[in-house]
Amino acid sequence: MTLSVALGPDTRESTQTGTVTSGDVLTAPDIPWNLVIWNDPVNLMSYVSYVFRSYFGYSEAKANKLMMEVHKKGRSIVAHGSKEQVEQHAVAMHGYGLWATVEKATGGNAGGSGKGKGKRG
Amino acid sequence: MAKAFKYGLKGIKGYLEPAERELLRSLFDDVISMLEPEVRANEDPLAALVGLDTEAREPSDRAMRRLLPNVMKNDDDASLEFRRYTERSLRENKIGALKAAALSLDRDDLVLTPDDARHWATALNDVRLVLAERLDIRDDADADNVHLMQDWAQAEDVESYLALVYNFTTWLQESLVQAMVHSLDARR
Repeated sequence: MTLSVALGPDTRESTQTGTVTSGDVLTAPDIPWNLVIWNDPVNLMSYVSYVFRSYFGYSEAKANKLMMEVHKKGRSIVAHGSKEQVEQHAVAMHGYGLWATVEKATGGNAGGSGKGKGKRG
Repeated sequence: MAKAFKYGLKGIKGYLEPAERELLRSLFDDVISMLEPEVRANEDPLAALVGLDTEAREPSDRAMRRLLPNVMKNDDDASLEFRRYTERSLRENKIGALKAAALSLDRDDLVLTPDDARHWATALNDVRLVLAERLDIRDDADADNVHLMQDWAQAEDVESYLALVYNFTTWLQESLVQAMVHSLDARR
Protein backbone atom coordinates (compact mmCIF):
# COMPACT_ATOMS: atom_id res chain seq x y z
CA MET A 1 0.00 0.00 0.00
CA THR A 2 1.31 3.44 -0.81
CA LEU A 3 2.46 5.73 1.93
CA SER A 4 0.89 9.14 1.92
CA VAL A 5 1.54 12.53 3.41
CA ALA A 6 -1.16 13.54 5.87
CA LEU A 7 -2.80 16.81 5.01
CA GLY A 8 -3.10 19.54 7.60
CA PRO A 9 -6.27 19.30 9.64
CA ASP A 10 -7.43 22.87 9.43
CA THR A 11 -7.01 23.84 5.82
CA ARG A 12 -10.74 23.82 5.18
CA GLU A 13 -11.50 26.69 7.52
CA SER A 14 -9.03 28.91 5.74
CA THR A 15 -10.76 28.49 2.38
CA GLN A 16 -13.94 29.95 3.80
CA THR A 17 -12.60 33.26 4.97
CA GLY A 18 -11.68 35.35 1.96
CA THR A 19 -14.33 36.89 -0.26
CA VAL A 20 -13.47 36.75 -3.89
CA THR A 21 -13.30 40.04 -5.69
CA SER A 22 -14.31 40.29 -9.29
CA GLY A 23 -10.69 40.61 -10.34
CA ASP A 24 -9.70 37.17 -9.03
CA VAL A 25 -9.32 34.46 -11.57
CA LEU A 26 -9.25 30.93 -10.27
CA THR A 27 -7.21 28.64 -12.41
CA ALA A 28 -7.90 24.92 -12.17
CA PRO A 29 -5.05 23.95 -9.79
CA ASP A 30 -6.17 26.64 -7.34
CA ILE A 31 -9.60 25.15 -6.77
CA PRO A 32 -9.44 22.87 -3.75
CA TRP A 33 -10.93 19.41 -3.91
CA ASN A 34 -12.35 17.23 -1.15
CA LEU A 35 -12.02 13.54 -0.50
CA VAL A 36 -15.39 12.26 0.74
CA ILE A 37 -15.95 8.94 2.53
CA TRP A 38 -19.52 7.59 2.42
CA ASN A 39 -21.28 5.45 4.98
CA ASP A 40 -22.17 1.87 4.20
CA PRO A 41 -23.59 -0.89 6.39
CA VAL A 42 -20.69 -3.28 5.81
CA ASN A 43 -17.41 -1.61 6.71
CA LEU A 44 -16.50 -2.03 10.36
CA MET A 45 -16.19 1.17 12.37
CA SER A 46 -12.91 -0.08 13.81
CA TYR A 47 -11.60 -0.76 10.31
CA VAL A 48 -12.58 2.66 8.93
CA SER A 49 -10.90 4.35 11.89
CA TYR A 50 -7.82 2.14 11.45
CA VAL A 51 -7.55 3.11 7.78
CA PHE A 52 -7.74 6.82 8.64
CA ARG A 53 -4.98 6.35 11.22
CA SER A 54 -2.63 4.21 9.19
CA TYR A 55 -3.08 5.78 5.74
CA PHE A 56 -3.44 9.47 6.60
CA GLY A 57 -1.42 9.31 9.82
CA TYR A 58 -4.29 10.91 11.75
CA SER A 59 -4.40 10.67 15.53
CA GLU A 60 -6.74 8.14 17.11
CA ALA A 61 -9.04 10.98 18.25
CA LYS A 62 -9.23 12.57 14.81
CA ALA A 63 -9.69 9.21 13.06
CA ASN A 64 -12.54 8.29 15.41
CA LYS A 65 -14.19 11.70 14.99
CA LEU A 66 -14.15 11.40 11.19
CA MET A 67 -15.35 7.79 11.36
CA MET A 68 -18.29 8.81 13.59
CA GLU A 69 -19.15 11.61 11.18
CA VAL A 70 -19.30 9.09 8.32
CA HIS A 71 -21.44 6.80 10.46
CA LYS A 72 -23.89 9.42 11.73
CA LYS A 73 -24.08 11.95 8.89
CA GLY A 74 -23.63 9.51 6.04
CA ARG A 75 -20.47 11.16 4.73
CA SER A 76 -17.40 13.04 5.84
CA ILE A 77 -14.71 15.09 4.15
CA VAL A 78 -11.55 13.41 5.37
CA ALA A 79 -8.90 15.19 3.30
CA HIS A 80 -8.49 18.00 0.81
CA GLY A 81 -5.92 19.11 -1.69
CA SER A 82 -5.41 19.36 -5.41
CA LYS A 83 -7.58 17.24 -7.69
CA GLU A 84 -4.64 14.90 -8.30
CA GLN A 85 -3.95 14.48 -4.58
CA VAL A 86 -7.51 13.63 -3.61
CA GLU A 87 -7.88 11.30 -6.60
CA GLN A 88 -4.80 9.43 -5.44
CA HIS A 89 -6.32 9.17 -1.96
CA ALA A 90 -9.61 7.95 -3.46
CA VAL A 91 -7.89 5.07 -5.28
CA ALA A 92 -6.08 4.15 -2.07
CA MET A 93 -9.41 4.18 -0.18
CA HIS A 94 -10.98 1.97 -2.88
CA GLY A 95 -8.02 -0.36 -2.35
CA TYR A 96 -9.00 -0.61 1.33
CA GLY A 97 -12.63 -1.15 0.33
CA LEU A 98 -13.91 2.19 1.60
CA TRP A 99 -16.46 4.03 -0.53
CA ALA A 100 -14.69 7.26 -1.51
CA THR A 101 -15.44 10.00 -4.02
CA VAL A 102 -13.83 13.33 -4.87
CA GLU A 103 -15.63 16.63 -5.29
CA LYS A 104 -14.81 20.27 -5.81
CA ALA A 105 -14.73 22.06 -2.48
CA THR A 106 -17.69 24.39 -2.12
CA GLY A 107 -15.93 26.91 0.07
CA GLY A 108 -18.11 29.62 -1.44
CA ASN A 109 -15.51 30.93 -3.84
CA ALA A 110 -15.21 28.32 -6.53
CA GLY A 111 -16.35 30.12 -9.64
CA GLY A 112 -16.67 33.29 -7.64
CA SER A 113 -20.40 33.00 -7.03
CA GLY A 114 -19.94 33.20 -3.26
CA LYS A 115 -23.19 31.46 -2.46
CA GLY A 116 -23.01 30.50 1.18
CA LYS A 117 -24.55 27.08 1.42
CA GLY A 118 -23.89 25.62 -1.98
CA LYS A 119 -24.37 21.93 -1.50
CA ARG A 120 -23.21 19.47 -4.07
CA GLY A 121 -25.33 16.45 -4.95
CA MET B 1 -13.31 -23.47 16.27
CA ALA B 2 -11.42 -20.39 15.09
CA LYS B 3 -9.68 -18.19 17.62
CA ALA B 4 -9.63 -14.40 17.48
CA PHE B 5 -6.48 -12.77 16.11
CA LYS B 6 -4.21 -11.52 18.89
CA TYR B 7 -1.25 -9.16 18.77
CA GLY B 8 1.84 -10.44 20.58
CA LEU B 9 5.60 -10.58 20.47
CA LYS B 10 5.73 -12.59 17.26
CA GLY B 11 3.20 -10.48 15.44
CA ILE B 12 -0.49 -11.07 14.91
CA LYS B 13 -1.49 -14.65 15.56
CA GLY B 14 -4.67 -16.44 14.68
CA TYR B 15 -5.99 -19.97 14.61
CA LEU B 16 -8.33 -21.55 12.08
CA GLU B 17 -9.65 -25.09 11.72
CA PRO B 18 -8.93 -26.84 8.40
CA ALA B 19 -12.58 -26.44 7.32
CA GLU B 20 -12.43 -22.72 8.09
CA ARG B 21 -9.22 -22.37 6.09
CA GLU B 22 -10.90 -24.17 3.20
CA LEU B 23 -13.92 -21.85 3.39
CA LEU B 24 -11.76 -18.71 3.41
CA ARG B 25 -9.61 -20.02 0.56
CA SER B 26 -12.69 -20.51 -1.61
CA LEU B 27 -14.06 -17.06 -0.68
CA PHE B 28 -10.75 -15.40 -1.57
CA ASP B 29 -10.65 -17.37 -4.85
CA ASP B 30 -14.23 -16.34 -5.71
CA VAL B 31 -13.44 -12.64 -5.33
CA ILE B 32 -10.16 -13.07 -7.24
CA SER B 33 -12.03 -14.57 -10.19
CA MET B 34 -14.55 -11.70 -10.07
CA LEU B 35 -11.75 -9.15 -10.19
CA GLU B 36 -9.52 -10.82 -12.77
CA PRO B 37 -9.69 -8.65 -15.89
CA GLU B 38 -10.75 -10.48 -19.01
CA VAL B 39 -8.01 -10.82 -21.59
CA ARG B 40 -8.90 -9.12 -24.84
CA ALA B 41 -7.44 -10.26 -28.13
CA ASN B 42 -7.06 -6.85 -29.72
CA GLU B 43 -5.60 -5.13 -26.68
CA ASP B 44 -2.69 -2.74 -27.01
CA PRO B 45 0.06 -4.47 -24.97
CA LEU B 46 1.79 -1.19 -24.13
CA ALA B 47 -1.44 0.32 -22.81
CA ALA B 48 -1.95 -2.78 -20.65
CA LEU B 49 1.61 -2.51 -19.40
CA VAL B 50 1.11 1.01 -18.10
CA GLY B 51 -2.23 0.06 -16.59
CA LEU B 52 -4.40 1.89 -19.10
CA ASP B 53 -7.67 0.23 -19.99
CA THR B 54 -9.50 2.10 -22.73
CA GLU B 55 -12.34 -0.44 -22.65
CA ALA B 56 -13.05 -0.10 -18.92
CA ARG B 57 -16.74 0.42 -18.10
CA GLU B 58 -18.67 0.98 -14.90
CA PRO B 59 -19.51 -2.59 -13.77
CA SER B 60 -23.14 -3.68 -14.12
CA ASP B 61 -22.92 -6.02 -11.11
CA ARG B 62 -23.68 -4.29 -7.78
CA ALA B 63 -20.92 -6.09 -5.88
CA MET B 64 -18.39 -5.15 -8.54
CA ARG B 65 -19.58 -1.55 -8.44
CA ARG B 66 -18.93 -1.55 -4.71
CA LEU B 67 -15.42 -3.01 -5.15
CA LEU B 68 -14.60 -0.63 -8.02
CA PRO B 69 -16.73 2.46 -7.38
CA ASN B 70 -17.03 5.64 -9.46
CA VAL B 71 -14.69 8.35 -8.23
CA MET B 72 -17.27 11.13 -8.68
CA LYS B 73 -20.85 11.06 -7.56
CA ASN B 74 -22.52 13.08 -10.27
CA ASP B 75 -20.12 12.95 -13.16
CA ASP B 76 -20.20 9.63 -15.01
CA ASP B 77 -17.99 10.86 -17.85
CA ALA B 78 -15.20 12.02 -15.57
CA SER B 79 -15.54 8.85 -13.49
CA LEU B 80 -15.20 6.70 -16.61
CA GLU B 81 -12.16 8.62 -17.77
CA PHE B 82 -10.57 8.13 -14.33
CA ARG B 83 -11.53 4.45 -14.31
CA ARG B 84 -9.66 3.88 -17.57
CA TYR B 85 -6.44 5.04 -15.95
CA THR B 86 -6.80 3.49 -12.52
CA GLU B 87 -9.12 0.49 -12.50
CA ARG B 88 -6.66 -2.07 -13.79
CA SER B 89 -4.09 -1.40 -11.07
CA LEU B 90 -6.83 -1.26 -8.43
CA ARG B 91 -7.99 -4.72 -9.54
CA GLU B 92 -4.40 -5.97 -9.47
CA ASN B 93 -3.78 -4.60 -5.97
CA LYS B 94 -6.94 -6.22 -4.66
CA ILE B 95 -6.08 -9.53 -6.34
CA GLY B 96 -2.57 -9.30 -4.86
CA ALA B 97 -3.93 -8.91 -1.34
CA LEU B 98 -6.44 -11.75 -1.81
CA LYS B 99 -3.73 -14.05 -3.19
CA ALA B 100 -1.33 -13.19 -0.36
CA ALA B 101 -4.04 -13.93 2.21
CA ALA B 102 -4.91 -17.22 0.47
CA LEU B 103 -1.23 -18.18 0.39
CA SER B 104 -0.75 -17.66 4.13
CA LEU B 105 -3.57 -20.16 4.69
CA ASP B 106 -1.16 -22.85 3.47
CA ARG B 107 1.19 -22.27 6.39
CA ASP B 108 0.78 -24.38 9.53
CA ASP B 109 0.89 -21.41 11.88
CA LEU B 110 -1.21 -18.37 11.12
CA VAL B 111 1.24 -15.68 12.25
CA LEU B 112 0.87 -12.47 10.26
CA THR B 113 3.54 -9.86 9.52
CA PRO B 114 2.29 -6.25 9.26
CA ASP B 115 2.09 -6.68 5.46
CA ASP B 116 0.21 -9.98 5.81
CA ALA B 117 -2.21 -8.33 8.24
CA ARG B 118 -2.95 -5.49 5.81
CA HIS B 119 -3.55 -7.98 3.01
CA TRP B 120 -5.84 -10.01 5.25
CA ALA B 121 -7.81 -6.97 6.37
CA THR B 122 -8.49 -5.76 2.82
CA ALA B 123 -9.11 -9.29 1.53
CA LEU B 124 -11.67 -9.98 4.28
CA ASN B 125 -13.22 -6.58 3.65
CA ASP B 126 -13.64 -7.26 -0.07
CA VAL B 127 -15.12 -10.69 0.66
CA ARG B 128 -17.61 -9.07 3.06
CA LEU B 129 -18.56 -6.39 0.53
CA VAL B 130 -19.38 -9.09 -2.03
CA LEU B 131 -21.29 -11.25 0.47
CA ALA B 132 -23.24 -8.19 1.65
CA GLU B 133 -24.44 -7.48 -1.89
CA ARG B 134 -25.50 -11.10 -2.34
CA LEU B 135 -27.37 -10.86 1.00
CA ASP B 136 -28.97 -7.55 -0.02
CA ILE B 137 -27.59 -5.65 2.98
CA ARG B 138 -28.62 -2.08 2.17
CA ASP B 139 -28.74 -0.43 5.58
CA ASP B 140 -27.91 -0.96 9.24
CA ALA B 141 -31.25 -2.70 9.89
CA ASP B 142 -30.47 -5.27 7.17
CA ALA B 143 -27.04 -5.77 8.70
CA ASP B 144 -28.59 -6.29 12.15
CA ASN B 145 -30.99 -8.89 10.75
CA VAL B 146 -28.17 -10.82 9.13
CA HIS B 147 -26.21 -10.57 12.36
CA LEU B 148 -28.97 -12.47 14.22
CA MET B 149 -28.08 -15.59 12.25
CA GLN B 150 -25.44 -17.25 14.41
CA ASP B 151 -26.36 -20.92 14.66
CA TRP B 152 -24.94 -23.24 12.00
CA ALA B 153 -27.67 -25.77 12.90
CA GLN B 154 -30.18 -23.28 11.47
CA ALA B 155 -28.51 -23.14 8.06
CA GLU B 156 -31.23 -24.59 5.88
CA ASP B 157 -30.86 -22.58 2.66
CA VAL B 158 -28.28 -20.65 0.68
CA GLU B 159 -29.33 -17.34 2.24
CA SER B 160 -28.88 -18.49 5.83
CA TYR B 161 -25.61 -20.19 4.93
CA LEU B 162 -24.34 -16.95 3.35
CA ALA B 163 -25.44 -15.03 6.44
CA LEU B 164 -23.41 -17.35 8.67
CA VAL B 165 -20.39 -17.03 6.43
CA TYR B 166 -20.79 -13.25 6.45
CA ASN B 167 -20.97 -13.20 10.25
CA PHE B 168 -17.91 -15.43 10.52
CA THR B 169 -15.84 -13.17 8.23
CA THR B 170 -17.11 -10.09 10.10
CA TRP B 171 -16.02 -11.54 13.43
CA LEU B 172 -12.65 -12.56 11.99
CA GLN B 173 -12.01 -9.12 10.46
CA GLU B 174 -13.04 -7.34 13.66
CA SER B 175 -10.61 -9.41 15.72
CA LEU B 176 -7.87 -8.77 13.15
CA VAL B 177 -8.45 -5.01 13.12
CA GLN B 178 -8.39 -4.93 16.95
CA ALA B 179 -5.02 -6.72 16.85
CA MET B 180 -3.77 -4.27 14.19
CA VAL B 181 -4.87 -1.32 16.32
CA HIS B 182 -2.92 -2.82 19.24
CA SER B 183 0.18 -3.14 17.08
CA LEU B 184 -0.30 0.49 15.94
CA ASP B 185 -0.53 1.64 19.57
CA ALA B 186 2.48 -0.47 20.56
CA ARG B 187 4.66 1.23 17.96
CA ARG B 188 3.94 4.70 19.32
